[in-house]
Amino acid sequence: MTVLQRLIPVTRDVAHWRPRRRLQRLLDQAGPLLRRPGFVVALILVLFTLLAALWPALFTQVDPYATQPSAKLLPPSAVHWFGTDELGRDLYTRVLYGARLSVEAALLAVGLALVSGLGLGIVSGFIGGRVDNLIMRLVDVLLALPGLLLALAIVTAIGFGTIPVAIAVGVGIIPGFARTTRAEVLRIKTLPYVEAARLGGASWGRTLLRHVLPNAWGPVAVLATLDIGAAILATAGLSFLGFGAAPPAAEWGTLIANGRHFLITAPWVSLLPGLFLVLVVFSLNHIARTFEETQR
Amino acid sequence: MRLQRTLASAAILLALGLSGCSPSQPDAQAASTLKIAFFNDNTQLVSIDPFQVYWLEHRVVLRNVVEALTDQDPQTGQIIPWLAERWEISPDAREYTFYLRKDVTFSNGEPFDAQAVKTAFDSNKAFAAELPSTFGATYLAGYDHAEILDPHSIKLVLSKPNAGFLQATSTTNLSILAPESYRKTAKERSLGAVIGSGPFKIEHYTPETGLRLVRREGYAWASANVQNKGDAHLSAIEVSYVPEESVRNGLFLQGKVDILWPRVPFSEVDLQLFQRNDATIQSRSLPGPALNLYPNTRGNRILADQKVRQALLKAIDRKSYASTVYNDAFPVVDGVYDVTTPYFRSQGDKLAYDPQGAAKLLDAAGWTLGQDSYRYKDGKRLALQYNLPGKETAGDVLIQDQLRKVGIELKLKVQTTAEWAAANAAGAYDLTYSYMTRADPIILQTILDPRSANSSTLATNTYEPNVLPLAQTLFDAGLTATASEQRADAYGELQDLLIDQGSAIPVYERVWQAATSKRVQNFRWSAEGFAFLNDIEVKP
Repeated sequence: MTVLQRLIPVTRDVAHWRPRRRLQRLLDQAGPLLRRPGFVVALILVLFTLLAALWPALFTQVDPYATQPSAKLLPPSAVHWFGTDELGRDLYTRVLYGARLSVEAALLAVGLALVSGLGLGIVSGFIGGRVDNLIMRLVDVLLALPGLLLALAIVTAIGFGTIPVAIAVGVGIIPGFARTTRAEVLRIKTLPYVEAARLGGASWGRTLLRHVLPNAWGPVAVLATLDIGAAILATAGLSFLGFGAAPPAAEWGTLIANGRHFLITAPWVSLLPGLFLVLVVFSLNHIARTFEETQR
Repeated sequence: MRLQRTLASAAILLALGLSGCSPSQPDAQAASTLKIAFFNDNTQLVSIDPFQVYWLEHRVVLRNVVEALTDQDPQTGQIIPWLAERWEISPDAREYTFYLRKDVTFSNGEPFDAQAVKTAFDSNKAFAAELPSTFGATYLAGYDHAEILDPHSIKLVLSKPNAGFLQATSTTNLSILAPESYRKTAKERSLGAVIGSGPFKIEHYTPETGLRLVRREGYAWASANVQNKGDAHLSAIEVSYVPEESVRNGLFLQGKVDILWPRVPFSEVDLQLFQRNDATIQSRSLPGPALNLYPNTRGNRILADQKVRQALLKAIDRKSYASTVYNDAFPVVDGVYDVTTPYFRSQGDKLAYDPQGAAKLLDAAGWTLGQDSYRYKDGKRLALQYNLPGKETAGDVLIQDQLRKVGIELKLKVQTTAEWAAANAAGAYDLTYSYMTRADPIILQTILDPRSANSSTLATNTYEPNVLPLAQTLFDAGLTATASEQRADAYGELQDLLIDQGSAIPVYERVWQAATSKRVQNFRWSAEGFAFLNDIEVKP
């Protein structure tokens, strides 16, 4: 294009045409999305959760760990939006502070899975042969084990806490990423521009990093968005079972678990944090699905 | 073909009709079966061998299967006759002569006589020699040999005085099993080969799942504690171990179990829920130590400083703990022991909530408040590691917050039961807890006397090095004293010492609560906090 522009004399017609700015392009893409109310609500909820995870103090002034025995097990009200737990701690505040741990764990898990899955997939797809066979059989083994069971085994071996839980969940979702990446790499490496790059004298490393990886990235990114929701659920599952952060810090799963003794007498202690968790996961899934649809 | 079908359906109808109109044998039995739900079974020691068992739930069951020479009055703590009609104690408290009942038989038909008693005591002694840390060993301490005087009188001779020996003969731990049981291995006994003379027999025991007792016919030698002198009213008792609290409560509320009997007391909301459902709450303080935290004073740890331990004592609000975690009517702990323990001495004035006093002590010990409202000394934060097996409770988190108010960071380290026991043995903790139940202050020796404790590390670490001999002297004085006043003095001094040293930090009174459905009548507690199941009746 630039070559042509230089060769052909510039006419007045062409001067009207200007390449769209990056922001403009983003807005053009986001426009149809923002006209979907479901997407907007989901986006707001996810943004709220992310903000709460980073700065919980923005949305609440209460100390999440301060007990107040006189105010135990109060139902939801204007003062305590989500009610209080068995020690009189404000549940809304605890859910917000729990967001930090839960979101951190989920992002860490997906990040870990993304990096190792991408690495394994590219190596396996690009090199092929015995290495491919070896890696894929390992992935088969991982796929054969139920994710939560594998995570339980790992967390029992490496100890309790937010980071071990994130690692355990992350390892469980590596195979999905590895398989997806490998499939993409297998498709791309036969395409003409890869051959052209090789003929042009690019090294294997350069071909891999500059030509294959960026083009294999798309489907993996969608998978990552989808898996954040799944990772939040899985980390909540593990912290529900008591493998999460050390008390008094509480992840969402811990909050739900602590309230289950009061399901008959004070259902909000367990149900409201649970509802919040469900909404966040639904929102993430909805966002990922919408992206998938609009990409098509 | 059609005729055949008609006949077949007629036969089925007939069968249905017959079974419907008269209550068959299994129905009647189901109607007088009592179902009890306990919390989880012991996984550290899988055993229902009376001599080894410290697990309270098993002892409840065993109280009704095996019987002892004497019994203990739940109100007065007096030792009263049971399988022994009377006894004599020599002036030096070394020889106990028991005169046995003549009409007693074991459930396998073997007679109960002096030989059976000798077999029981000698077998227990041999077992304790093999495994000195076994729970029954402290009960048997000092026992040397038995002399059979005649078929129904026996003299038990001690090599050194044991002031708790008479009380020990009233416990399930020193109950007399049929000689056949002792011919089996300890492992077989642990898994249910326990033959006694009680009103019930063990039909089977499946660890971690459940246990079933059936009525012994022809029973007629209950102690004065029990109102029902003949056969038990219940034909069978089904015990199940349900670890999950909400499941257990749900089973009870749906009427699937008649007695809900978890280890920890009920919370206020649960109490209200059960009472709305016409349940009766039975409760009794368990004799033995209260729920105390035991510090680790060794190896340059923070709690080596007595001032910090004293500050801990002052920084815990026990009244608020009892009313928040349990309910307003829940007793506030008043000493090292629960109030039902003989020779209990109140320490209430030293256990008052005094955060200012705690702060003053910590300041004096050099721990000053930092920016983040925790205390620091030489750049090190005042952080204590509190090990917890299984899961933290609301109470643990409450204490954590109470200590935070005076600038102490309590780190709740949740571990598996095995890790927790290992950490106790290795001394890898600042605070830990332990408790045992027996209606005699000697029980504290199984926790706090390194010579006979379950975990001698825990026992040693509790005291500063120079205090340990002092405590052991008091334990010995209490054990060997023959007069009641001497024992009272020794154990009183011991309780003072533990609190003054900050070697035991009481948190709550161990009240044992059971919820009984309105089917269940005449639930009564024994002295050690078990139930007389042969007194219980169920209404259909």
